[in-house]
Amino acid sequence: MNHPMRLNFRYEWLLLLGALCCTMGCAAARPGSPDNGNDPLEGMNRGIFWFNDQVDNYVLEPAAKGWDKITPDRVQKSLSNFFHNLGFPIVAVNGLLQGKFVQSASDVGRFAVNTTVGFLGFFDPASGWGLVQHNEDFGQTLGYWGVPPGPYLVLPFFGPCDPRDTVGLAVDSFSVIYAYFIPYYYTFGARAVDIINSRALVLREVRQIKDASFDYYVAVRDAYTRRRAALIADQNDLPQNTQDELYQLQEEQ
Amino acid sequence: MTRTRSTLRPLRGIIVGFALTAFLLAPISAARAAEGPTAAVQQTADAVVAVLADKGLSVEQRRHKVEEIVYAHFDFETLSRLVLARHWKELSPEQQKAFVEEFKRHLSVTYGKNVETYNNEKAVVIGDRAETQNDWTVKTKVIRPSAEDVLVDYRLRKEDGQWRVIDVIIEGVSLVANFRSQFQEIISRDGAAKLIDLLREKNAKGEPLKS
Repeated sequence: MNHPMRLNFRYEWLLLLGALCCTMGCAAARPGSPDNGNDPLEGMNRGIFWFNDQVDNYVLEPAAKGWDKITPDRVQKSLSNFFHNLGFPIVAVNGLLQGKFVQSASDVGRFAVNTTVGFLGFFDPASGWGLVQHNEDFGQTLGYWGVPPGPYLVLPFFGPCDPRDTVGLAVDSFSVIYAYFIPYYYTFGARAVDIINSRALVLREVRQIKDASFDYYVAVRDAYTRRRAALIADQNDLPQNTQDELYQLQEEQ
Repeated sequence: MTRTRSTLRPLRGIIVGFALTAFLLAPISAARAAEGPTAAVQQTADAVVAVLADKGLSVEQRRHKVEEIVYAHFDFETLSRLVLARHWKELSPEQQKAFVEEFKRHLSVTYGKNVETYNNEKAVVIGDRAETQNDWTVKTKVIRPSAEDVLVDYRLRKEDGQWRVIDVIIEGVSLVANFRSQFQEIISRDGAAKLIDLLREKNAKGEPLKS
């Protein structure tokens, strides 16, 4: 039982590492220009992005639509709670690694409350008690300690990323508790449910972004880069130099 | 991995946030009401939610009314100039006018669809702050009954004695910056006329969302 499961995780890790090395190599070969949002691999990235979008259009979105039809909103929300709850070690450990001791303690408390009172995490009474969900991962931990993101990167299936967050993904994959207890073919099923359910929760929103954008690739790249920066800084504010650059009318410059 | 990294996972917050733009200005707690920009956001919010909650109106009527309120409180010209940045001056006065109109139309066509799906979202002001350029930021949090909260900041600028919104920042992603990055490439490559055509084209086929 134990063996194939470990194999599964090693495999995933190797896959990510391989993608990383390959893209790091390419990145080193072609320096980025400041105009394109540090995206020296734009050609390759666009290709992978297109591929991911096809996967979304023909597999993920239809599956999520079907799921959405047969599953009430309450159930979707509960499943989302359940998977978030299982992801607690990533959040708690990375909070700790960034010296956020109070936050990390709150995450442990949250897990305890939701796993017991919240029926294995399907419900979220903890939020109502002030133990709110935090968003931490190893990519953010690296960023917190000053590691730069490196060039923008689109990973097959995983989507928008960068070398820093790729390392983060690989490291975080070891903190998934259920993988150590449950054979891989069950975790596969669980993950499929998680992915389809998560996708179902944003059906309308994604459609809208696609409709609203003029260059979906660029829209996502900008959003990903800024969102990650905001998450690392733990605030919704744009950096001051970005603000100056964004909000000054040309005539005044 | 429990915290699924599907294609869209890392972007969930933003995706949701963008889609919320129509009811961004949902009800805001009266306790924070004050003079100036915060009051402006507050009043806009109150007005929008009153319309959204009015089930006596048809979807079209609600949409139209929300549009009116939002138009009065957003400074689309400044917003457009900021979006086009250095390219603004390359446009002829007619093109500038057309761009402002079409861009406004685009935002309204895209985000106006959310009027149909308003689901008792609420927003609370969680702070405000003076910025450089004499701007003001009003920070809000959109609370959704069956989903995660979304942080939405409004940047306001005073023009002719009235505070109006010049940017919306959702979970760290600025509307101005996001469109700027998309438009920059189109203008550099194909020119401003092409961009305006693209906007017209998109607006022409912008129908209310079915599902």
